[in-house]
Amino acid sequence: MFKVEDLKYRYPKGEHDVINGISFDISEGEIFGFLGPSGAGKSTTQKILIKILGDYRGTISYSGKDITEFKDDFYEDIGVSFEMPIHFSKMTAMENIDFFLKLYKNNADVEELMKRVGLWEDRDMMVGEFSKGMKIRLNIVRAMLNNPKMLFMDEPTNGLDPMNAMILKDMIREFRADGGTVFITSHIMSDIDQLCDRVAFIVEGKIIEMDSPRNLKIKYGKRSMTLEYKENDHTEIVEFPLDGIGKNKEFLNLLQTKEVETLHSGETTLEDIFIQVTGVKLKNEE
Amino acid sequence: MKSRLAILVKGELSRLNKYNVFSISILVALIWGIILFFLNEDALGSILPFVLVLDATMMSVMYIGSVMYFEKSESTISTMLVTPTTNKELVMSKVIANTIHNAFSASLIIIVFIIFKDVDVKIFLVFLGIISTTTFFTIAGLCLSYFQKDFTGMLVNIMILMFGFGIPMALYQFGVLKADFWEYLLLINPMQAGAEVITAAFVGYEFTYKYYFSLAYMIIGAAIFYYGVAIPKFQKYAVKQSGV
Repeated sequence: MFKVEDLKYRYPKGEHDVINGISFDISEGEIFGFLGPSGAGKSTTQKILIKILGDYRGTISYSGKDITEFKDDFYEDIGVSFEMPIHFSKMTAMENIDFFLKLYKNNADVEELMKRVGLWEDRDMMVGEFSKGMKIRLNIVRAMLNNPKMLFMDEPTNGLDPMNAMILKDMIREFRADGGTVFITSHIMSDIDQLCDRVAFIVEGKIIEMDSPRNLKIKYGKRSMTLEYKENDHTEIVEFPLDGIGKNKEFLNLLQTKEVETLHSGETTLEDIFIQVTGVKLKNEE
Repeated sequence: MKSRLAILVKGELSRLNKYNVFSISILVALIWGIILFFLNEDALGSILPFVLVLDATMMSVMYIGSVMYFEKSESTISTMLVTPTTNKELVMSKVIANTIHNAFSASLIIIVFIIFKDVDVKIFLVFLGIISTTTFFTIAGLCLSYFQKDFTGMLVNIMILMFGFGIPMALYQFGVLKADFWEYLLLINPMQAGAEVITAAFVGYEFTYKYYFSLAYMIIGAAIFYYGVAIPKFQKYAVKQSGV
């Protein structure tokens, strides 16, 4: 659906490229995660893909056509959820939505969307009176009100409580299930891990790793099994190689004779992989 | 679907109302109306056009500046950029809405004086003057807003306009600057051009080349600002507001 080849970008007054020749493609119906610390080039890449920033080098095609050939009808196809609230604060939520709705040919069922994010009851409230979380949820409605084929989401769960973050993640999955494609930029690894079919790590404008979360975990994870069991009054921890675990007599013996407290495979997290690959700690960058 | 430009203009007008810009302009018109109401007819003849000129020039810059400031502070420009509207439509809608708004507040003052003071004014000429002047200064104000960092920046811009163009125009209008030299020099002053085309609607105005020059100045000047600055610089301005 989207194909990016050798993309490079330098800001007008910049001395060097902030995007250094990245290439990737996003298939139709895929949730593609773009991960990286602040300043890595995530938002810049997204702004180029949604045609806010021009003057880039390289090629970007959407549905087989160079994005520079698209006119404003490009925006009939896409929805963008910005990280910061982007509403007229002295207008109600519905007034905001109604205004944007009229600009599109294709309109979603706003009532259903507003109910889904829990804002229908507050639709006549001034957006200025909304909490940050409510404004972010309204961003999601704004992004989806034209029934887009593709969603661009910048840090979509940032500022949401766990319950609303879960609702949003469900909405993203349903959007994908209905044939939609999603591009997510985030530094919150757990969201990416739960949602994305594939992820790309970007650091200093370069993609340094790209694969599915599962494959990355297998590739960078430790092939081991850690067993914790009770021995007298303390806990013993033993690590076994994962290969041939079913025939490992010591392991099987401990399972049969000891009181097992925990049993973990050496699977790693995306955050650990990121640190391992880049040497950059994401949380320190927030 | 209705014309996108019509939707955008309606949205702009609605926001002028919601953000109380409309209320403020009506209040300003009311204050001017009260002051003018107590003036004698001789003074009214020169002060009324002057008030209309101030409304069409300084106030136009101030209103468009505040609209742009609100948009900047609420980051709404980002989401406008990802709608199927063109930059031309976005800019044009602001110009049209602000011109309608200012023409409305000027109309209030004129109507009050036609009814209560029996002021003799050529309706077509006064609206031609107000609309052409308001359009010019709205576009100029829009261009200035691209370079203003905050609300204080907007006020500084207005003060510069006031001192640079407004005071010489006022001194000339009230006969303080009398030499022929000023008559020619002030032809390049956009506020003087606005004063010329608005004053032409009042009794006693003598039509000379200055009227036609000033009217052309407002129309051609507005087109130059629109196509030369307002449209080409809009994308860069909007991208900057979206956090890049």
